[in-house]
Amino acid sequence: MVAITYLFQTLWSHQHASKVQIRLGDKIHATYDLNLQRDVHVHGPLGDAVIHISQGKVRFAKSPCHNQYCVHQGWLTHAGQVAICLPNQISLELIGEQKPYDSLNY
Amino acid sequence: MRKGFAGLLLIAIIASVLFSLRAYNKEPLYHSQSYVFGTLVDISIYGESEQRAKSLSNQVLQDFQRLNNQLHAWKPVNNNQPSELGALNAAFAAGKQPIAISPQLVDMLVNATALSVKSHGMFNPAIGHLIGTWGFQRDEFSAVVINDEKIKALVKSKPRMTDIVITNNTAYSNNPNVKLDLGGYAKGYALDMAAHYLRQQKVKNALINIGGNIIAIGQHGNKPWRVGIQHPRKPAAIATLDLVDGWAIGTSGDYQRYFILNGKRYCHIIDPRNGYPVQHTQAVTVLIPPQPGAGVLSDVASKPIFIAPVADKAKAAANMGIQYFMVIAQQPISQRSNGQQPNAEQSNILVSPALAKKLDWLDSDVKNNSHVKVLTLR
Repeated sequence: MVAITYLFQTLWSHQHASKVQIRLGDKIHATYDLNLQRDVHVHGPLGDAVIHISQGKVRFAKSPCHNQYCVHQGWLTHAGQVAICLPNQISLELIGEQKPYDSLNY
Repeated sequence: MRKGFAGLLLIAIIASVLFSLRAYNKEPLYHSQSYVFGTLVDISIYGESEQRAKSLSNQVLQDFQRLNNQLHAWKPVNNNQPSELGALNAAFAAGKQPIAISPQLVDMLVNATALSVKSHGMFNPAIGHLIGTWGFQRDEFSAVVINDEKIKALVKSKPRMTDIVITNNTAYSNNPNVKLDLGGYAKGYALDMAAHYLRQQKVKNALINIGGNIIAIGQHGNKPWRVGIQHPRKPAAIATLDLVDGWAIGTSGDYQRYFILNGKRYCHIIDPRNGYPVQHTQAVTVLIPPQPGAGVLSDVASKPIFIAPVADKAKAAANMGIQYFMVIAQQPISQRSNGQQPNAEQSNILVSPALAKKLDWLDSDVKNNSHVKVLTLR
């Protein structure tokens, strides 16, 4: 019983992310499973951004923005983590079974 | 043995039923994201029909857009019309001729002046010329050529909020070097405005986030709204806390608006005393209990704490009446153990006892206390 409970908690812990939600401006652009490796191209106001999904992680791989803060953020791995490209109005949010928080203070 | 198997099966069935119930029972949560004030606006409304939540959220966004046009520090509304703030700045530079301003702007300037005085001038929205010189009055930030002479001259010209004279909805400045930039005030003001509007509309539960500054109304179903606090050097939250009805939270950081020049980070928070970006601090978070102007305070109060040297941060917080705060400071090189990279961006965390009680740490380094010191201010 203890082992099963532990397994449930591990598999469905709040940290685990299964999907990435990509938003463009005020719209949900797409939601992708994190287990399928792929590059997603999103066309923002500044141009094409490339979002790389691989083995349960996601990151901005390329962005037309000047500062590249979004690319420098690196890999997102846990539910609730977000990367925002303000100039190109694209945001990534990792989604899990449970949301660890409703909103992010930064 | 068979009993054990039956138990397992039962658990599996209950679990799958629970999960499918959760999937089909969509909770009444409306969530929208939009870009205003050069940042991300994120609105959650709980317990309203989707249609009503959407129309309320759109109204809030329209109000934000109007405020943005009115208060923009460098963008005119269109080719022929400066923002209200732009027109006022032009009048300040031209001389002491008073010009008419809206009652709303009067309220903001009177309030911002009082807060500036309270902070001993460390919160100073009159240093628009300095902010512009550092290249932070642009949509995107690139390294600037640092002009020490110009910076010195601008600091010496002593632009202060108290130089502004307001009478009968008109304003002028005794100092032509005053240039208003409400970048550290307007988002907080907008939070208060939105919270007031939604409460007026009898909304019971909402969470409004403008570029990381958040105010809460009610709660998320049967539990409080929960917010994560971003780690200044990792793409993850460092801690979470419950944001109860009426509370607001704000962070000033060196990681949202900055440029790197010769390996040094120059952030948008400028010390009015020397005219230079602050380089000893990575982030300051303040938590504000319910009160009129809680949103404004969540935006403003983090600035003087950010600018104060580490030893004076508790005093700067006390000046602003802030009990709940966290400082993530750049670790001085002298404190680093051997083997660490000299430019490794290590952090010291200082958290006030009142806020420490409310935080749940997520960051494993903080939990293990391996790279980060959790200090308690006394």
